[in-house]
Amino acid sequence: MSTADPPASGTGAGEARIADARLQRWDGARSGRWAAVRALARWSATGALGARRGWRAKLAPIALSLIALTPAIVVLGVRALIPGGAIDLDEITFSGYQRGTGLVILIFAGLVAAEVMCPDRRDGVLSLYFATALSRLEYVVGKLMATAVPMLLVTLVPMLVLYWGIVVFEDAPVTYLREHWLTLGRIVLSGALVAGYFAVVGIAIASLTSRRAYAVGAYLALLVGATAAADALGEAGGPGWVDALRLGTVPAELSARLYPGAESDSEVPLVGWAISYVVVVSVAAGVLVRRFRRTDL
Amino acid sequence: MSAATLAAHGVRKRYGRVQALDDVTVTLDAPAIGLLGANGAGKTTLMKALLGLVGLDAGTVSILGRRVGEDPRSDRARVGYMPERGALPLDMTAHDFVMQLAELRGLPRRAAALRASEVLFHVGLEEERARLLRSYSTGMRQRTKLAQALLDTPELVVLDEPTNGLDPGGRAEMLGIVRRLSSDLGIRVLMSSHVLDDVLATCDAVCVLRDGRVAHHGALDTLGDDDTRAVIVRVVGDPEAFANALSARGLAAQAQGGGDALVRVTCSGDRDLAALRDVAMAAGIGIAELRSGGPTAHQTLIEAMR
Repeated sequence: MSTADPPASGTGAGEARIADARLQRWDGARSGRWAAVRALARWSATGALGARRGWRAKLAPIALSLIALTPAIVVLGVRALIPGGAIDLDEITFSGYQRGTGLVILIFAGLVAAEVMCPDRRDGVLSLYFATALSRLEYVVGKLMATAVPMLLVTLVPMLVLYWGIVVFEDAPVTYLREHWLTLGRIVLSGALVAGYFAVVGIAIASLTSRRAYAVGAYLALLVGATAAADALGEAGGPGWVDALRLGTVPAELSARLYPGAESDSEVPLVGWAISYVVVVSVAAGVLVRRFRRTDL
Repeated sequence: MSAATLAAHGVRKRYGRVQALDDVTVTLDAPAIGLLGANGAGKTTLMKALLGLVGLDAGTVSILGRRVGEDPRSDRARVGYMPERGALPLDMTAHDFVMQLAELRGLPRRAAALRASEVLFHVGLEEERARLLRSYSTGMRQRTKLAQALLDTPELVVLDEPTNGLDPGGRAEMLGIVRRLSSDLGIRVLMSSHVLDDVLATCDAVCVLRDGRVAHHGALDTLGDDDTRAVIVRVVGDPEAFANALSARGLAAQAQGGGDALVRVTCSGDRDLAALRDVAMAAGIGIAELRSGGPTAHQTLIEAMR
């Protein structure tokens, strides 16, 4: 117990003490509020990734992470097995990586966001959190972190693996690093942009229901549906800017344009994608504010 | 602003067509307060108002002398809460759940793990703490919820129907723990219940809600004070003569009439009761029955709940 002093082994009878085994007041140190937010993010994120849970809960996050990593592993593997052969690492560009793994990122975010948000409503712990532990803002920030940070597994880690793999296989790694250090910054920025976008949208939708299946369904319906609708409009001769309504590809298109010389089929410029990104994130943030403003629990 | 455990002034709260709280005004200061009322009387709504979980249509509420909402962070640090329903992630172990809440309340990670074990020990779950909450009985789940409410030894614990769903043994254990919170640990308790005996067994004061209004409130030991001091004596003999003899001895007594030979006597303690006995012996009056002159605390509260 907090203040109980257990008798030391080997002490004589004269040194024996009576230990108070009743619950004592907590007078120990406390961390700050930021530590509490990080704790919420850690518990939520590890739970969403299946930690301390059965293998079924781990399956989807691990599988999707591996799929997202596969292009990088294949490129580097082929380069390792056939030096100077089929793949010229100098020709590798990073701008298209997230487009290629876009579907994986989309599904990963939907699953993680639903897992992060829905159980709290289903289990009825929100009143407990808000009455005794966290403010509503702290809760939303913690949940956003809990979704965005695991998302880096599919938005950032594969590109970092590819980047450092290229460095390793380069004849002059230091020269490559010196010439491409900006690329590293772009990789980190694009990974964060994509993770942030899907995390905000994902938890905004998941905050509206206690059912994970509904949350994932609504999330996919919105992003895939909007993308399909924009595609249909474009094919029907709509203006070029309708591409910016492809909500499922907005962050990948935006981050691709961070890389110089990135190729794209879309006529929408960087600013157009940036506006689309900001609007979607703002609307999602508005949903979160509305959902968690001072409403009755 | 007083430092009363709880204070509510003109509190109104409506959910759609239902007026959950209707001009609730009450101030109570006691180590353990029972919030009593039938289901739907407004107990949970009042508790949630005190916890800042519901917005009020009108009025103000205070806990421990501070108006709720003025400093939410400080409010949260002073209060522990045991909700009535749910509030348990069933796919976590009790230890993980309590430890997580300890961290959210600001305890460092290592300390949170130790403290979780301590509070679970205190509520008798030390052997079962590594089991999934899904596998817990209702009583164990209630104890887990109580354990998390005690984590950082709050100044006030708010317990919403803590004995709900418990068997008699579990109920007795839970009430024992609740009583010890205020008596041993010095934690103030606000407990809601629709079971009168639970409140009488654990609380020092009571607030009875009926249809969203305060029907009765006050300290339990003074409840029905005037009534419990009065006794009714059924005599074998002349009630008028007995009443006169008691009056001559300085006791307020009055024959009730109606042919039942009843005398109502106001007694302030054992000394008065002994005097009553002596007067009866001296006057040659037999005492056939001696009972409380008014409703008991039990009866008063039940009446207030109706």
